[in-house]
Amino acid sequence: MPVVTLHWEELERLVGADRETILAKLPMIGCDIERVDEEHIDVEFFPNRPDLYSVEGVARALRGFLGIETGYKHYEVKQSNWKILVDECVKSVRPRICGCVVRRLEITDEVIRSLMEVQEDLHWTIGRNRRKMAIGVHDLRVLEFPLRYTTVDESFSFIPLDFEEEMSVKEILEKHPKGKAYSFILEGYSRYPIILDSNGEVVSLPPIINANRTRLTEKTTDIFIDVTGFDKNVDRAINILATMLADRGGLVESVEVIYPDSPEITPDLSPSKTNVDIEEVESLLGFKLSEGEIISALEKMRYGVNVKDGYFEVLVPPYRADIMHSWDVIEDIAIGYGYDRIVPDYPRTATVGKTHNWNELRDIVREVMIGLGYMEVITFTLTSEKVQYSYMRRKKPEAWKFYTPVMHPLNEEHRILRTNILPKLLEVLSANVHYPLPQRIFEVGDVVINMENKLNLSACSTHARANFSEVRSLVQAVMRELDLSWSVKECDDGAFIEGRCAEIVVDGLKVGVFGEIHPEVLENFGIPNPTVGFELDLSMLNTGELI
Amino acid sequence: MLSPIEVTLIKELGKGKYSVDEAAKKAGIKRDTVLKASYLLQEKGYAEVITEVTRRYFLTDEGKMYLDRGLPEEKLVKLLEDTNDIKELQQKMGKVEFGIALGWLRKKGAVEIRDGKIKLVKKPEFKEKEWLRAIAEGKKIGENELKTLLKRKLIDFDEDKEIYVLIKDVPEVEICEYISDLTPELIKSGKWKNKKFLKYDIGVPAKDIFASKLHPYERIIRECRRIFLEMGFTEIKGNYIQPAFWNFDALFQPQDHPARDMQDTFYLEKYVGLNKELEDSYVERVRETHENGWITGSTGWGGKWDFNKARQLVLRTHTTAITIHYLALNPEPPVKAFCIDRVYRRETIDSTHLPEFDQLEGVVLDRGVGFKHLLGMLREFFIKMGFEDVRFRPGYFPYTEPSVEPEVYVEELGWIELGGAGIFRKEVTEPLGIKGKVLAWGLGIGRLAMLRLGMKDLRKLYQPDLGWLRDCPVVRR
Repeated sequence: MPVVTLHWEELERLVGADRETILAKLPMIGCDIERVDEEHIDVEFFPNRPDLYSVEGVARALRGFLGIETGYKHYEVKQSNWKILVDECVKSVRPRICGCVVRRLEITDEVIRSLMEVQEDLHWTIGRNRRKMAIGVHDLRVLEFPLRYTTVDESFSFIPLDFEEEMSVKEILEKHPKGKAYSFILEGYSRYPIILDSNGEVVSLPPIINANRTRLTEKTTDIFIDVTGFDKNVDRAINILATMLADRGGLVESVEVIYPDSPEITPDLSPSKTNVDIEEVESLLGFKLSEGEIISALEKMRYGVNVKDGYFEVLVPPYRADIMHSWDVIEDIAIGYGYDRIVPDYPRTATVGKTHNWNELRDIVREVMIGLGYMEVITFTLTSEKVQYSYMRRKKPEAWKFYTPVMHPLNEEHRILRTNILPKLLEVLSANVHYPLPQRIFEVGDVVINMENKLNLSACSTHARANFSEVRSLVQAVMRELDLSWSVKECDDGAFIEGRCAEIVVDGLKVGVFGEIHPEVLENFGIPNPTVGFELDLSMLNTGELI
Repeated sequence: MLSPIEVTLIKELGKGKYSVDEAAKKAGIKRDTVLKASYLLQEKGYAEVITEVTRRYFLTDEGKMYLDRGLPEEKLVKLLEDTNDIKELQQKMGKVEFGIALGWLRKKGAVEIRDGKIKLVKKPEFKEKEWLRAIAEGKKIGENELKTLLKRKLIDFDEDKEIYVLIKDVPEVEICEYISDLTPELIKSGKWKNKKFLKYDIGVPAKDIFASKLHPYERIIRECRRIFLEMGFTEIKGNYIQPAFWNFDALFQPQDHPARDMQDTFYLEKYVGLNKELEDSYVERVRETHENGWITGSTGWGGKWDFNKARQLVLRTHTTAITIHYLALNPEPPVKAFCIDRVYRRETIDSTHLPEFDQLEGVVLDRGVGFKHLLGMLREFFIKMGFEDVRFRPGYFPYTEPSVEPEVYVEELGWIELGGAGIFRKEVTEPLGIKGKVLAWGLGIGRLAMLRLGMKDLRKLYQPDLGWLRDCPVVRR
């Protein structure tokens, strides 16, 4: 989630309140304050509120919330003659484009920096790393209108931002830092989206890079913004930028985007409308608010409200990208009313509690194992083929049918889900060789076999005199407590010393194994003392239904 | 105060002086124990420990030879019966032995020498031989005799140190016997009666032993389970591996949401069909809800929803994959369910981030419940967890609306965010046919462990350190 750095001085000035008031109220509109110092405040805003990624946006929201300036804020868009002609060919690459001109801005270094920050935050969040939406900001003076949004092939060349030489599109995608970072978005295309001015000069190669010549300078007062992409996020982004710059004192002028089939005027800074049913407010919040309270709360959250019969027609500001459903507005009513004013009420929902067999069984097994002098441990379920099989002198079984490999593991230790717990316990012993012996540990928990969870119990004991009869006694005790009649069968398991291990057989099925751990296994794990252990699959007991 | 050993010693020995061996034999106590007790009695003024050195004499090789073959002077006296010529005698005896023999006879005043002849003037006594025999037989002889034999190097000695205990006084107070180890015999015979038990030095630490016990983390989980059960919730459990459908799509997470990136989620290279019934009833509705909101009143995300993405398996990133599926299978209110289990995130390990950890989640499905009931539930839950002060801030989670971030007050730390909560969006519940509203909340158990156990490093929970487990007390204040 984006962390926005706000300057106290600017924020206090734009809000019209002191920093104590701001600090106290800011969290109650929905954000996490990350850091506060003399000059700045770092705030993490939620990804559904990209309109709060600038100091102007935060000030606008706070003025409402603090009651300094409430209700819907109208933004003027001056109709003008700026035009973008859209060619049919962009449809298959990056179909949507919006434009906007903002004049009479005072462009300082600070403004450029803050504009770039907002741009990056928008790219990352609603732009999904520029895939869905990308923004270009240009100096209006150097552009000759009408612009043309079309496609070119990879040999087309121009001077990209921060470079002095012409580069072809191919070179930009391969060598320019932004090209390398975002070329994945254009992968698989043979023609690339481009914005040209009427002289045929490049404005931008979206979503990669602008032309160098359109960059903002301290002399810039008028800017042109293009936003390209696929869906309504394009409109959201341009609305957020236009309203933010309007709040900074800029005059917003519209741009006519002429698609092959129809023209469109952008940005559209008129409100959208959502109807909110009064009863639904009460139903969702669980308590009754008066009409006046609802209106006041909505206006604090900068909505416009028209009271209708039994419902409110709510005017949603053009910069709000998150209102998909009337419940989104109702949440804002709750926020505007104040979460701290809501009286919590324990729900009357009458139900009877019930445990799950899986965990009941685990508790029973824990009781037995602890009674037998074994300490419970918890280990990761992510592990490696090496630990599960080769260290154990066991043959690696078949993937999927038996064990589960994960894609893109983060490291060599976490490549698969465990199918056995015993190797994890041996890992624990190897990490604890410096503590007094004997060490006796167990874990009763999940293993994943054939992509489904199973419940296993494993225990081991290490000390100078650990031997087969110790572990046999242990298994005898466990099986006695679990009321299982069982028998042993000779087994061929590399993890144990030959002739000193046995399969546990219940109802003719192998359900476990126990014995003296093979010295080579001990060596693999780095365990210096004789060690015995067992592992038992508990699925013959009732472990309950899994979802 | 006297220990039973000390009492036994005094009683068995009485006044007098005893070697340690004697005392041990008489009192029926081990030699070492006698010694220890004697020193203690000495400190208490009842006894004195005396070390005496005794000599044990034995014959030298020369001594043995003389005892065997007679003394040189004895031999000489015998030879004097045949001749008294010095030269001749020297020849017969050998010069050295002759010298010794003559020297001793002269010392005893038995011979005189005149003109190279030896004349016996009185019959000498050869008592040395008897002395030697006495020593060889372990008998005692007089000091002077010993001196003589030592001087003639016919005997030598080893020194033995002997320790004696001298009981000076038998205390007048009644000597009461103390019991050290209570034995089965003492109980059976009743001999412990009228005796007192020796008081031990209770300040001396004994050897450390360690309790086998639950993992401290499991104890926290157990506490959470208990709270849910007390509140009437049903425990549910699901597989770690889930289709993306239940982990993401059913929760209205858009398919291009960053949380669904390979970067953050462990995907499996495996696609499954959902079961037929599910596909028929849910998939189309979920698709429509994503694309255009279906009949939920939502705008939807727009774009195309891809069933293939929903079919891919993932290691579940939250337990909500299980709760939402459970609610889909149990859509009629009232339902209260909880799940505490392992979830996975593709995060690089450090002290506060783990690729797998445990999460707690509770849901309430009912008609006629709303946001204030969610807050009521949360407050009750946290109070039961021991957090008396709870407050609520707006939050954001993709599948809840309204959303809330609960905070609890912790001494010395202030307000701590603890989990997240909200009411499931209509875009989540309606396509699955869930009737009523779903109040939901969840939190990472690791966070609780950090607060409860004062842990700074979450790795310790899953990479057990036996020293820490052994030392970690069961009771937490």
